Amino acid sequence: MDPLTRPRPILIRLAIALLGPLLLALLFLACGREENAARPEAPAPPPAPVAEAPAPPAPPKAEPASAETRATYQWYCAQCHGVKGKGNGINAKWLTVPPRDHTKAEYLETRTDQQLFDAIQQGGLAVGRAPCMPRWGDTLDEKTIHALVRYIRELCECEAI
Amino acid sequence: MKRLGFYLLAVGWLVCQPAASFALPLEGMGCEACHRLSAEAPPGERKAPDLYYAGDKLRKEWLVQFLQRPVVLRKAGFFTAPGFLAGEPDARPHPVLSEEDAKKAADDLAALKLPGLPTGLVDEEPLSKVGRVKAKILFERDYSCIACHEGINLAGQARGGVSGPSLAGAGNRLKGDWIVHWLKTPEKFIDKSRMPVYRLDEETLAQLTRYILSLKKEPDEWTR
Ligand code: HEC
Ligand code: HEC
Ligand code: HEC
Repeated sequence: MDPLTRPRPILIRLAIALLGPLLLALLFLACGREENAARPEAPAPPPAPVAEAPAPPAPPKAEPASAETRATYQWYCAQCHGVKGKGNGINAKWLTVPPRDHTKAEYLETRTDQQLFDAIQQGGLAVGRAPCMPRWGDTLDEKTIHALVRYIRELCECEAI
Repeated sequence: MKRLGFYLLAVGWLVCQPAASFALPLEGMGCEACHRLSAEAPPGERKAPDLYYAGDKLRKEWLVQFLQRPVVLRKAGFFTAPGFLAGEPDARPHPVLSEEDAKKAADDLAALKLPGLPTGLVDEEPLSKVGRVKAKILFERDYSCIACHEGINLAGQARGGVSGPSLAGAGNRLKGDWIVHWLKTPEKFIDKSRMPVYRLDEETLAQLTRYILSLKKEPDEWTR
């Protein structure tokens, strides 16, 4: 039976009956973590299609991160990723998905600079990562985000392969 | 024993008070040893949340209660403390006021406002059941506010990140209009926040604000 031909009130009631449980189910994807809940591995999203567009120009590789970039990382990122980028910031134990360890080359080698840039600018949810990684695109300009990507490359002592 | 400590602290501040010749808010209570009571005070000396807009931000009933029975709102400590990012908060309890002093201080604090902040922006009607679930998803998933702030989980427990102030009891503590101002224009209240800037549409802003106002967990005793 085509539900659209039915009178509206029933549809609305149906929507309400379905909405509750559905939304509750969605909550399992939320970011807060129960103390005794098993820590799920970060979901492995399908590999994002490699961007056709050329990666935005990065500053010369040899240049170490400026004091300003380090300070930006300490101010915004360290609360979750930790003072040394090891993924153990003060919020880490309360998150369903642990913050990335920015010193881990094995993982970060598999991500392009563009992918890291997008995750920072648009947040985890927009790039198939956990929502606990906030979007910083309204807080930090592109230049700052590029500099943070370079700093993360410095922390992991790795480049994309 | 605890009380004695508080009295000693209190006497300590009194002694350190500069002799002021005109009546300031909270005169002689020593609050400005840690808090800024005026926007003109240099931010460098800030050891605790700014109070010069306390009347815009905090509910008076909450103030009266908090000043007599302070609770931890920032489990990781205040962000200027040296141990903040290290997870080593300053464990000293907040000064405690008598009922009489708490009422007087709350009166003074309620009068501390920024000029010209509009009010009446928030529908204080509780969210519907469905509306609340939707708003909870905004808070816990879409915008991951919970990554840095405590909310209330399905079992009624305070849960969430600790780099931002706990919001588990925010409905008893914060004024709705101020939440809107904070989410729209945080720069009015802080030179530089650790919280991401969000560009929220009016609908989302209203939903998040009403959700935060629905969080009314009674606080625990002072614990760190
Ligand atoms: C509220 C906590 C939080 C803050 C603050 C935060 N992150 Fe994250 N970040 C996370 C979490 C959680 C993940 C893991 C997401 C996943 O694996 O699905 C993550 C992942 C990442 C990743 C890896 C993305 C990928 O492709 O796997 C990068 C890069 C990153 N963050 C950079 C930053 C930078 C730079 C900042 C500061 C501007 C920052 N983060 C601030 C929580 C946070
Ligand atoms: C020794 C430093 C110190 C002194 C003195 C002090 N406070 Fe505080 N106060 C703090 C800290 C630190 C916090 C934050 C506590 C938390 O978030 O867990 C705080 C929080 C507060 C808050 C909540 C503010 C908010 O926005 O969350 C109020 C209100 C307050 N204090 C009022 C007072 C008053 C009134 C006095 C004077 C009688 C006073 N304080 C004296 C350190 C101090
Ligand atoms: C990356 C961490 C982080 C995220 C994510 C975050 N906040 Fe915050 N928030 C903070 C911090 C830190 C403060 C305290 C101000 C400061 O020190 O910058 C704060 C302050 C606040 C306050 C004022 C509380 C008080 O008592 O002073 C409210 C309300 C608030 N945030 C709501 C939200 C909402 C709603 C969201 C999601 C849309 C959110 N926050 C996401 C870190 C965060």
